[in-house]
Amino acid sequence: MANVALVSMEFVSAAISFILATFMMRPYLYTAERRFVGLPLGFTFLGVSYLLRGLTIYVSNPLADEMKWVHLFTEVYAFAFLAVTYYFSERELNPKKRLLWQSIFSGLILAVIATYFVIFEPFIPLFALPNYKLADTYRSLFGMILATYISVYTLRSQARNPDAKTIYAPLGYILLAFGEYSSLIWSMDSSFSALVGEYVIRLAGLSIFLFISYKTFSAKDPP
Amino acid sequence: MKKLARRDRMKIYRDILSVIQSSEKTEKIILTRIQQKTNVPFDRLKAYMLELGELGLIQNEPSPMLTEKGQKYLIEYEKVQEFMKRMGLAYQDET
Repeated sequence: MANVALVSMEFVSAAISFILATFMMRPYLYTAERRFVGLPLGFTFLGVSYLLRGLTIYVSNPLADEMKWVHLFTEVYAFAFLAVTYYFSERELNPKKRLLWQSIFSGLILAVIATYFVIFEPFIPLFALPNYKLADTYRSLFGMILATYISVYTLRSQARNPDAKTIYAPLGYILLAFGEYSSLIWSMDSSFSALVGEYVIRLAGLSIFLFISYKTFSAKDPP
Repeated sequence: MKKLARRDRMKIYRDILSVIQSSEKTEKIILTRIQQKTNVPFDRLKAYMLELGELGLIQNEPSPMLTEKGQKYLIEYEKVQEFMKRMGLAYQDET
């Protein structure tokens, strides 16, 4: 029964992430700035990661081991895409910084391709990879650091232009960071409350982004 | 001296469409007026006007006028700018 509830929360998280990815596509489309493609990519990767976790951890299937690793890396890449997008989101990018963005983004894409190739390559056995539990701990830690970085970035943005409407995004990222923190605690002590906390906090964070998107795009009149 | 921010193509589209929208009901718009308000060189402005016409955002004859698609684009553009602001992205429109 508890498993059904947890799988459902994974699927709901995935569904929210995919909906958010469609909203996040708009800054890229309406500014024609390629660096904003990291937003839809990040949320799509988050959605895929939650979906795979729901499918693999609680539902047995023949590709469960591979999918566990894919989930782990996909979530890390999701936060990496989001953090890189925020870092390079200023209006004016000088040529040096633009080149840096291109290098980092290309590197990330190459890393994604290489990772999935290694995981599904039959000649490289999965046991050759590091211990999964340890890797999962690092996954949570990495996710927490990147989500915290985005929280600080958005808080600084809020501090520069204080506005009641812009406080929600930092709150959303802070909750995602706390979700990763709970996941980290769960990976270390396997406490059920930490696991449930991870799901609830993460869902709250994603719901905040959904609220921001809905408030902005569902308004009939111009903002 | 204050440095003028570089405008991307979408921002220039938005500026041109805004000028057309703000004037279309009261007067006949001429390109020189749009050029003055948007601060775009005349040759580039003519190219942008053609592009906007091809995209179906304005109709150029008899005088520039926003189409329904152009009006939707303007509203959507403002929403996207607001969305980016609410999401805490540093890229924001200095309107």
